[in-house]
Amino acid sequence: MHIAEGFLPAAHAVGWTVAAAPFVVHGARAVVREVRENPESTLLLGAAGAFTFVLSAIKLPSITGSSSHPTGTGAGAILFRPPVMALLGTVVLLFQALLLAHGGLTTLGANAFAFAVVGPWVGYGAYRLVRALGGGLLPGVFAGMVLADLATYVTTSLQLALAFPDASSGLAGAAAKFLGIFAITQIPLAIGEGVLGVLLFRVLTVNARPELERLGVLRPAPATTAGGAA
Amino acid sequence: MTGLAVDDAAWASAWRRRSPDDKLLLCGGLVVCALLLPAWPGSLLVGLVAVGLALGPARVPARTFGRAVRLPLAFITVGALTAVVAVDGDGIGWAPDAAARAGSLAGHALAGSAAVLLLATTTPMSDLLPALRRLHVPDAVVEVASVVYRLLFVLLESLRTIREAQTARMGHSSLRRSYRSSGVLAAAVLTRSWDRARRMQDGLAGRGMEAGLRVLPEVLPSSRAFLAAGAAGLAGIVAVSLVVA
Repeated sequence: MHIAEGFLPAAHAVGWTVAAAPFVVHGARAVVREVRENPESTLLLGAAGAFTFVLSAIKLPSITGSSSHPTGTGAGAILFRPPVMALLGTVVLLFQALLLAHGGLTTLGANAFAFAVVGPWVGYGAYRLVRALGGGLLPGVFAGMVLADLATYVTTSLQLALAFPDASSGLAGAAAKFLGIFAITQIPLAIGEGVLGVLLFRVLTVNARPELERLGVLRPAPATTAGGAA
Repeated sequence: MTGLAVDDAAWASAWRRRSPDDKLLLCGGLVVCALLLPAWPGSLLVGLVAVGLALGPARVPARTFGRAVRLPLAFITVGALTAVVAVDGDGIGWAPDAAARAGSLAGHALAGSAAVLLLATTTPMSDLLPALRRLHVPDAVVEVASVVYRLLFVLLESLRTIREAQTARMGHSSLRRSYRSSGVLAAAVLTRSWDRARRMQDGLAGRGMEAGLRVLPEVLPSSRAFLAAGAAGLAGIVAVSLVVA
């Protein structure tokens, strides 16, 4: 759920762009530093951005019979960390606006704040919290992906409520309206995305364990005798 | 054919050879007009000009343009209706001047979306990315964005092929199977993206280009006539909107 082009008043569009800018600049500096130290990571970062874009093209079946698309920022934050996702998420939003007409250019700042900043940070925080409390990888991934999606939707609803306060009940009434109307699609989607994340990481731990160890998602397996690691 | 209708339209557009800077100025001006001018008649004029230019001189297929507008239209309809519903102690009702406010909101958003679509359906991303460099976006960031653009079509193709194979094997015949297949699909796309990136890196390193594939951007000359017509059109929209409003 991205805010469409022209939907936010100009002052709000500028305000959210200013709010998102420090996070995106911080992400850009992290990417520049990474590329300077390891030039080959340009391609891996590009692959991460392309994966986030393509993940949003996977149709998730919903219980209501329709289908919806995951945001993918929770998985990105767990794999590549939130600062990098602030930049990659913004790049993906730009591509979605210009290749899919999803989102917009003047609303890029507001969408980046919800999708590329708040979502990844909340998702990553939930993932780290579950892992710190002794939860395994998969419960952490489920919590991270569900909360990244929910945080994105709650932030977008609050952005809309701030822009269009209710005539009678003000900001609180407007927040209740937008949270309520988008909850119909977003809560099932968030749970679906959490399930998808669990299935994704379960396959990755079998098929891409070295990559997950290199990214710090899994601890390197202790050396065992031949055949013991299988 | 790249598989994304908007991108296909951009490559096939009659404005493909026009300078991306010229198109950015025109579409940027239309976006700003849609945002700042009163919905009546500003948004209407911006929408008509954007759609007219896309379907007329730029020769974007009407079907592609219409389908692309559908996605923002759903958000705009739900968002605008929600914004004009009033909630208070007595229950739910329409806010005062609800129709005018909803019309104004939808007008701004539809006109802005049409202006962005005019840019998107006439200018491929590979023409727009060098413009980011001129806006002082760091080279490393533009490089990463270029790799995203190059890789995403390969990954979308992989996504379609794997999904087709899964469907043929009853992988989406029930909710449970569909979720399991989607998880495997996402994992396959991620590992393929890493594999592609690694192979591209090996290929570039073998050619002595460890820092990535730098290519000369295609130079598309600016047209004074296009710029003058664009500026005159934008000035006309502003003047008519302010006079009528």
